[in-house]
Amino acid sequence: MECTVIAETSGNSIHPITAQLVGAASSLGATPTVVIPGGAGAEEAASIEGVSKVISVVGDYFSTFDSGAWASAIAPQCSGVVIAGATPIGREVASRVAAKRGIPIIQDATGLKSGITITRPIYSGKVVETSTVSGDCVITLRANAFDAAGSGGSASVNVVDQSADISIAVKEAISKASERLDVSEANIIISGGRGIGEKENFSNLEDVADIIGAAVGASRAVVDEWGMPHSMQVGQTGKTVTPSLYIAVGISGAIQHLAGMRSSKYIVAINKDPDAPIFGVADYGIVATWEEAVPALKSALAAL
Amino acid sequence: MPFEALDFYDVDSLLTDEERMVRDMVRDFVDEEVIPKIEHACRDGVFPDEWRVALGEMGVLGAPLKGYDCPGLSYTAYGVICRELERGDSGLRSFASVQGSLAMYPIWDFGSEEQKQHYLPKMASGEWIGCFGLTEPDYGSNPGDMITKAEDMGDHYLLNGAKMWITNGTIAQLAVVWAKLDGVIRGFIVEKGDPGFSAPEMKGKHSLKASVTSELVFQDCKIPKDRILPGVKGLRGPFSCLNNARYGISWGAVGAAQACFDSAREYSLSRIQFTHPIASYQLVQNKLAWMLREITKAQLLAYHLGQKKDAGTWIPEHISLAKMNNVDIALEIAREARDIHGANGILDEYCIMRHMANLESVKTYEGTHDIHNLILGRHITGIQAFTREL
Amino acid sequence: MTIAVLLKQVPDTTAKISVNGGRVDENAVSKWSFSPYDEYALEAALQLKESVGGEIVAITAGPARCEKLLRDAAAVGADTLVHVSADNINHLDSTQVQKLLAAAVQKSGASVIFCGKQAADTNAGSTGPGVAELIGASCVTLVSEVSSDGGGYVVTRPSSAGYEKVVASAPCVFAFDKGVSEMRRPNVRGIMMAKKKPIETWSLGDLGVDIQANGVNIDSHSPPAEKPPGQKFEGAESVSTVVSKLRDEANVI
Repeated sequence: MECTVIAETSGNSIHPITAQLVGAASSLGATPTVVIPGGAGAEEAASIEGVSKVISVVGDYFSTFDSGAWASAIAPQCSGVVIAGATPIGREVASRVAAKRGIPIIQDATGLKSGITITRPIYSGKVVETSTVSGDCVITLRANAFDAAGSGGSASVNVVDQSADISIAVKEAISKASERLDVSEANIIISGGRGIGEKENFSNLEDVADIIGAAVGASRAVVDEWGMPHSMQVGQTGKTVTPSLYIAVGISGAIQHLAGMRSSKYIVAINKDPDAPIFGVADYGIVATWEEAVPALKSALAAL
Repeated sequence: MPFEALDFYDVDSLLTDEERMVRDMVRDFVDEEVIPKIEHACRDGVFPDEWRVALGEMGVLGAPLKGYDCPGLSYTAYGVICRELERGDSGLRSFASVQGSLAMYPIWDFGSEEQKQHYLPKMASGEWIGCFGLTEPDYGSNPGDMITKAEDMGDHYLLNGAKMWITNGTIAQLAVVWAKLDGVIRGFIVEKGDPGFSAPEMKGKHSLKASVTSELVFQDCKIPKDRILPGVKGLRGPFSCLNNARYGISWGAVGAAQACFDSAREYSLSRIQFTHPIASYQLVQNKLAWMLREITKAQLLAYHLGQKKDAGTWIPEHISLAKMNNVDIALEIAREARDIHGANGILDEYCIMRHMANLESVKTYEGTHDIHNLILGRHITGIQAFTREL
Repeated sequence: MTIAVLLKQVPDTTAKISVNGGRVDENAVSKWSFSPYDEYALEAALQLKESVGGEIVAITAGPARCEKLLRDAAAVGADTLVHVSADNINHLDSTQVQKLLAAAVQKSGASVIFCGKQAADTNAGSTGPGVAELIGASCVTLVSEVSSDGGGYVVTRPSSAGYEKVVASAPCVFAFDKGVSEMRRPNVRGIMMAKKKPIETWSLGDLGVDIQANGVNIDSHSPPAEKPPGQKFEGAESVSTVVSKLRDEANVI
């Protein structure tokens, strides 16, 4: 089966998801061509096991992300079934490549079988869709859902200097303001309760939140007693939240708190009391003091 | 989280598209701007001014009135608005009822052309708040014996007397006041700042805490001659206002009941006792089933009454029945819901106790539960039982 | 300037989704709404119109139920309402949907297109860039703000360093992420006007589009695998285990 992987780059090298894309292609029995928009990390890509060749497409326009220019430059190299990462850039470029070639695209696949049968979550994960594509198509893959191919390959690298028209210009770069996400908008929330002892200890939760882009929440008890902002309060009289991941630290799990967070997709509870009701709703419960668990959490997340 | 109302018989499918759009608009407002603030408003005993602004911006004040920048919606739509507002809080619905049915309506129906043009547009936009002065300290169910009187002084009227239990009184720019002129009840528009007029707020309520309740005091209050409502004499004036307000209440009570039911259902499913959710126990299910039954009946009453209002085939007794029934079951549902919530039911983490306390007022104002029974009794037998020679 | 806003009607994100006979049961959906990112697109279009004038064409493709969405868009200020009639919208593949929408955009005369970064049902995000490709437009996704810059448009999008403002000119497609302001609430006047506004219904024939055979066959919809029952670990040393489970089992970090 003819197959092309559109590599994801990160600075001067390829992003680790690229090896996962190759791994998925290999599982379909393909020995893919890897196309690198901009050409960064070509040697690295060539060393991924199962790659038949690497094509570095280069041009000035790769310094600015313009999906129109990028897609027109790489599309001539993208034959057969095209696999890309379901990242913001991957999704956008892959959509244009698909439209340019007049073939369908399926985004955010979490499973692939030869055939090609594709599974993907839809309705925010409330349903899994299985579909089959007979002809060529473009598929983007969710990060970490596929095993990465190993190293040890030695594919050839071709460099293609391709011209393309850029139609977007960067006018101004703005560095990220360090504003904290609101709990009602965040995909990940780490919340603290009375069990963390005092208000000042919330800074430990903020450190964790910074690493994973989480919002910081609180139980009513600490909002009332320690004068935390009401906007942080999760629960019956605070916000009702449904993030993908809710981490409750030192929260016993009164019914009023559970009412605000029990619909979260995954719940992690850290509490030193093994009988705390919060463990009743937790997918992953950790019986430990926050003083030990939070630093461990911080280093484990930072190491990802 | 957006509210999904209990609507077991799909009664809302009978609404027009326009009425459903109005419902969704108000429901969204209540979810986003009322529910998150209501408990604080109650604790502080204030009616948040931004709610007045939002009601004006949505354009729902004086909902069924046409012309003069008024919304021109159906009575059914007005009912739906009341239901959605009262799902938030009876005080909020009271604000809208008083503004629309008790202050704007009499100007719209009984006012002069100049009065309509002068007052209605700014009341529809919420810029001006109105209140309604009928009840007096000593005359509640029996307004016909009111003491407040007006005297024609040639170039002005002079008002003397006092009104009590006046929603919006202190925050209002105008009051529609009913007073006796030469022994005949007439309506007068009194503006804030008129000499001899004051509207002190009544404090210490355990009910409708997020609503302003006031006294209106007239001490040689001087108002211009063009402030009398020319179009009506006698009790028919205030009673026609009350019919519209009571109609709105019959819908509003359903909203309060829906909120209590929703909370009770949710709570019973998550509250674990004796290792099972309390919703799995028959005694709790019996309460929930009873609530569902009563709410469904109340919804059908309100909807059908709305259709009769819109078709003009209603009589005041129809409204009495719906107001009395729907408030009565809403109050009972609030009490049962409190029971299901156990001790948690008394906390302001839940809406229950607030609705329950509010509904105690709603049961009494705009014609008490018992007076509505007497209205129906008179209708059935032809014999009035409000009073007799003792 | 005419701005086309592409809107998709999806089950409300809080609605329960049930599967019946291997398919999502649309009849069991209690509430249909705007896809949330489309609301940001519509609000941004309304604000742009307020600042520089122009006209907003709301376009949706789908079965008859989608007309409600157009009325809701009209109630907040959309000027023209276009319903691309497609009863089987959820069985069309991306090329088919994009062809329909691209043809509708071209027929509407709009050269600036606003849409959500992805729809809340499929969460795919193919439509904006795909339509851009078909009509030969530039495309910026994950847009949070837009303003007019005389001849072109300045839009804010995320970058590796934070944010960047980029300039693009028509024809262009902007796919919105959560924006600066939530979609405005309608008012009674808007609702009454929306009721009277005509909806233009365009069929495949009207659009002159041949969408050909479907390249993707949906085999089944199924509920997600049951989450494993809660797992409990002792001691802080288990934290790293939980973190790897969050990545590999739960796929949430």
